[in-house]
Amino acid sequence: MNTGGQREAAVIEAIPSEAPSPSALQCRDISVQYGEVAALVGVSLAFAPKLIHAVVGQNGAGKTTFARVAAGLVKPVSGTLAIGGKEIPTGNVGLARAAGVELVHQNFALPPSFTVAEAMEFGAERGRPFFSRRGLEARWKKHLENLGVRAGLRDRIRDLPVEAQQGVEIARALVADAKVLILDEPTAVLSPSGIETLFERLKSLKASGVTIILILHKIREVLGIADTVTVLRGGRLVEGPVAARATNARRLSASIIGAQAEQEIAGDEAALVGATDEIKAAPVPAAVSQAAPVLAMERVFTRSDSEGPGLEEASLSIGRGEIVGVAGVEGNGQRTLVRVLANLVDAQSGRILLGGEDITKTPLSERRARGLRVIPFERNSEGLSLSSALWENWSARQLVLGSALKLINPARYRKACDASLKEWDVRYHTTAQPAGSLSGGNAQKLILAREIDADASLIIAAQPTRGLDVGATAFVWRALREARARGCAVLVISSDLDELFDISDRLIVMLSGRIVVEFRPPYRLGEVGAAMTGAH
Amino acid sequence: MEEFVIATLRYGTPLVYVTLAGVLAQRAGVWNLGLEGLMIIGCCAAVLGLVQTGSLLFGMALAVALCVIASALLWFVIEKLRANPIIAGLGMTGLGLGGTDLAVQAIYGSQATVNAPYGLPRLGTEFGDFGVLSVLVAAMPFVVFAFWALLRRTRFGLQLAASGEHPFAARSVGVSPARMRLIALCVGGVLCALGGAELALGSLTIFAYGMTAGRGFMAFSAVIFGAGHPIASVAASLFFAIVGALGIRAQLVFGDRVPNDLLLALPYIATVIGIWISARLRGGAKAASAFGELRDY
Amino acid sequence: MTARLFAVGRAIAFVILALALCGVIFEFAGYSAPEMFQSIADGAFLNPGAWQGSLRWALPLFITATGVIISFRSGYFNVGAQGQFYIGAIGTTFVVDFMNGYPAALVIPLCFIAGIAGGAIWALWPGLLRVRSGADEVITTLMGNFIAGLILIYVTGGILKDPSGTGQVMASRPVAPAYRISSETGLSPTIVGAAIVVGVVMWILVNRSAFGVLAGLAGRNPIMIVWQGARMSRLGLAGFMLGGGLAGLAGAMEVLGPNGRLVSGFLPTLGFTAILIALVAGLSISGAAIVSLFFGGLASASLYLPVLAGLPAAAIDIINAAIALFITARAAPGLGWLAARRRAVGGA
Repeated sequence: MNTGGQREAAVIEAIPSEAPSPSALQCRDISVQYGEVAALVGVSLAFAPKLIHAVVGQNGAGKTTFARVAAGLVKPVSGTLAIGGKEIPTGNVGLARAAGVELVHQNFALPPSFTVAEAMEFGAERGRPFFSRRGLEARWKKHLENLGVRAGLRDRIRDLPVEAQQGVEIARALVADAKVLILDEPTAVLSPSGIETLFERLKSLKASGVTIILILHKIREVLGIADTVTVLRGGRLVEGPVAARATNARRLSASIIGAQAEQEIAGDEAALVGATDEIKAAPVPAAVSQAAPVLAMERVFTRSDSEGPGLEEASLSIGRGEIVGVAGVEGNGQRTLVRVLANLVDAQSGRILLGGEDITKTPLSERRARGLRVIPFERNSEGLSLSSALWENWSARQLVLGSALKLINPARYRKACDASLKEWDVRYHTTAQPAGSLSGGNAQKLILAREIDADASLIIAAQPTRGLDVGATAFVWRALREARARGCAVLVISSDLDELFDISDRLIVMLSGRIVVEFRPPYRLGEVGAAMTGAH
Repeated sequence: MEEFVIATLRYGTPLVYVTLAGVLAQRAGVWNLGLEGLMIIGCCAAVLGLVQTGSLLFGMALAVALCVIASALLWFVIEKLRANPIIAGLGMTGLGLGGTDLAVQAIYGSQATVNAPYGLPRLGTEFGDFGVLSVLVAAMPFVVFAFWALLRRTRFGLQLAASGEHPFAARSVGVSPARMRLIALCVGGVLCALGGAELALGSLTIFAYGMTAGRGFMAFSAVIFGAGHPIASVAASLFFAIVGALGIRAQLVFGDRVPNDLLLALPYIATVIGIWISARLRGGAKAASAFGELRDY
Repeated sequence: MTARLFAVGRAIAFVILALALCGVIFEFAGYSAPEMFQSIADGAFLNPGAWQGSLRWALPLFITATGVIISFRSGYFNVGAQGQFYIGAIGTTFVVDFMNGYPAALVIPLCFIAGIAGGAIWALWPGLLRVRSGADEVITTLMGNFIAGLILIYVTGGILKDPSGTGQVMASRPVAPAYRISSETGLSPTIVGAAIVVGVVMWILVNRSAFGVLAGLAGRNPIMIVWQGARMSRLGLAGFMLGGGLAGLAGAMEVLGPNGRLVSGFLPTLGFTAILIALVAGLSISGAAIVSLFFGGLASASLYLPVLAGLPAAAIDIINAAIALFITARAAPGLGWLAARRRAVGGA
């Protein structure tokens, strides 16, 4: 993917406030409050028709909220919305769809048990409201073919691979005539080649007259596809829409990150905003390879189940003071890898050794006692109990290690938690507040505070920065590097290749439950991308 | 054999109607544990309405009206007050049992059994032995088919299923999960009224305190067993009906040799086994949504 | 602290809302709501001697409620307290019958053990079904209530039946006076002492033990605690069996205490009321002590209403049911969305 490569020759200017043709989508002074948090503040934007517009910003900037306001899913406390020049009431999905606005969601609005045909039908507006099974399939066959979606109409959503699911999600959004198609972070789950396919699809949609608004957070992607760029930060409009030609990676990076945060994250900046192609990882400290590896997996097999494909002959070793990154399209066994290391799924054959000792059959509590730590994929459901207090969440790891009947003094744990959270720079009022009251970044720091202690020897970090803003992301990377410096072995699973390139000492790629290849720095996006889809 | 089929249909028809109500609620995402209470409201209202006015139609209308109101109240408590559906459902059941008890005592002065002058219209002698069955029994297969078609072959049915399974997906196409749940619960209320009327007036013509004896919970179990699928759930409820009818029959046949109470316990035991089997089929010890929390994101 | 006050205030508000709904229902049924509430208050607290009655009911309710609290806090909706209570009572009756003639110092503790064991066993099977196979415990424990009720009818009409009875009432032989732990008033040092011990021990378990914290976490998010390495099977089963055992203990105390025998269908609403107490008290042991008095008063009033006031006892059932309907509510319309509405999808 080249920066500034293919671009139309047509002249695209920054949009003046009185556009000659009505904007495809225009909003004035939109503000959204979620309780005490201001998600959007006074945002006014106008998007010209039949172009591809990118809306960029870090996590927490308000991009998804903006998309949802435009689609009528979220009602702003103030502001107006106009589609094709005609004002429509906010907060009403039916009216927004009638006006031609459709939203492709980041986490796919598809009920998992529905068949592909049913997923098309339930949002349809025309045609008879009843059907036979065969009639349903006939009704939607053409639609899917036209869009090049490779999924059987009888397949259930939950059985489809991620990229096919996204194809279905886009098809769902296009069942009615969309004039404005908004896609919320569509590239997050795709391999590099998947991103190219998506962009081709979007270009042909643009050619057929659809206005496209893309929510993205990687500059590389923005400059690769968009005609205009708009930057949001902290719920406010920073700049835009400006012509993509008229800006560059550095300026965009500065707008996205903002001045204050820039000092915190020096060095990681490019990776944080996804602005480069080839990234060299820091050289591996010399002391690593000789000592016995902290983690050694030898030809581990697991059965596949509802949560993912089984591992096939997975062999992996991580030494002291090493960060190994795991790349791969979601659903190719990364989750299984973490679960087998955490004993949440059994190894059918093969061995797992931690610090030289065979732990293949030992339960998780025992593995944790020996230094295993896990930062789970889903912060809110696997990492924390949102309605429980901070101190309870923090103390859980220690309490599990001891006997359940041990008498404890909660005050002591509260104090220890206080000290620990302060050390990790978590923003909170009292350790008695529920974990759900923390922001994403602070919640993740709470998990880090709990998991990364002095006795940790192997840290498994699964999607550790998902949903976090730039500052929190940089913080997590620092924490992992510090753990490495102390001699921990770290395993990082991530969908964010920039992240993996930036912090991994070695990079492995998973495909269909197998570890297919290992890379050492410097990493090349093209090669890694090809390995992720098995095209090498 | 024919007698057994008739007994099963009599035991089973109220169960089937209430099971369909449970299926509707389940698909919309609500664990309706108020089925027992709604059913007995249907029984009582039908009988008292009939007795007080002499008109069966009035009794049925009263049953439907009260069940719909109670269902709407349950919806309000669960959806708008965000109460826990399981406890709220049990509360509704308690209200149904207590309220019907109170109504009888208010009118008759004691917890007596109320006798109705006549019951639901029967099929009549052209149907031979099956003539003793009420029209609601005869209507049952059609009702089941109609609801199956509604839930599985219409856009509305898909939107209802989306409301329960993935409320965000429903909202993203402009469907309001809250409204869907209200519709599901209220239509379910009508079905519970019919089931209750069949229980009280279909073969017997009485209302007695606690006459539902756990049938509402059995219906709920049938819904779980059938995973909310209309046909599977109805099949499960008919299975419970067979066990129930067997129990009654065995009482007649075996009399003293097997304890009555054990036979009466058969449907409950069957329900437990049914729940266990369906849980095992669905993949073992996954955390069942015991709290039945409504998600709306 | 403010969170606690807020929770208490909310509970009180919803109880009042429930009472209002009941008032409507009473009027609709043709009774005078003010008269009804006055009579209830009389029977519960105001009449001379009412306090003793209320306390008598509060004690077994409290003991059962602590068990429910532990179960619920562990994340399992064990609503089978009624059945566990019955099976505990049945176990006790078997022991006291079988060991007739042995010294009280041996028999009474054995009876308590039998009661606890009976209740625990009746909670163990739904617990195993849930923890091992994922079978929903709400249904299994509810069915367990029905089955236990039938077992009670069976034993009081058969094996344990009092031969000198009239034959109409299905009850066991009266417990020998040597083994009684209280008179019909239900208030005795043994019973009150047992309640206090249970309260203290359970409070310590919930608030000052690792189990308390872990079970609390498991109750709110079992997935998270599994990722920490806790064995949900152990935590969960412990919660179930404690809940059952305590209900069974209450059963033992009722048989050896105020009831003096095992009667078919006795105290049919104890289980449900204990669940209510647990909920109204916000799953707090100390709160349950106070709330038990309130519901004990209602239970006392339900005896008073038909006898002295000519009003149906069903009124109390309705009050309990209405409270159950509202008590788990977490929001009130018009106050807007709950404040901390998390953005479920990562980022914005």
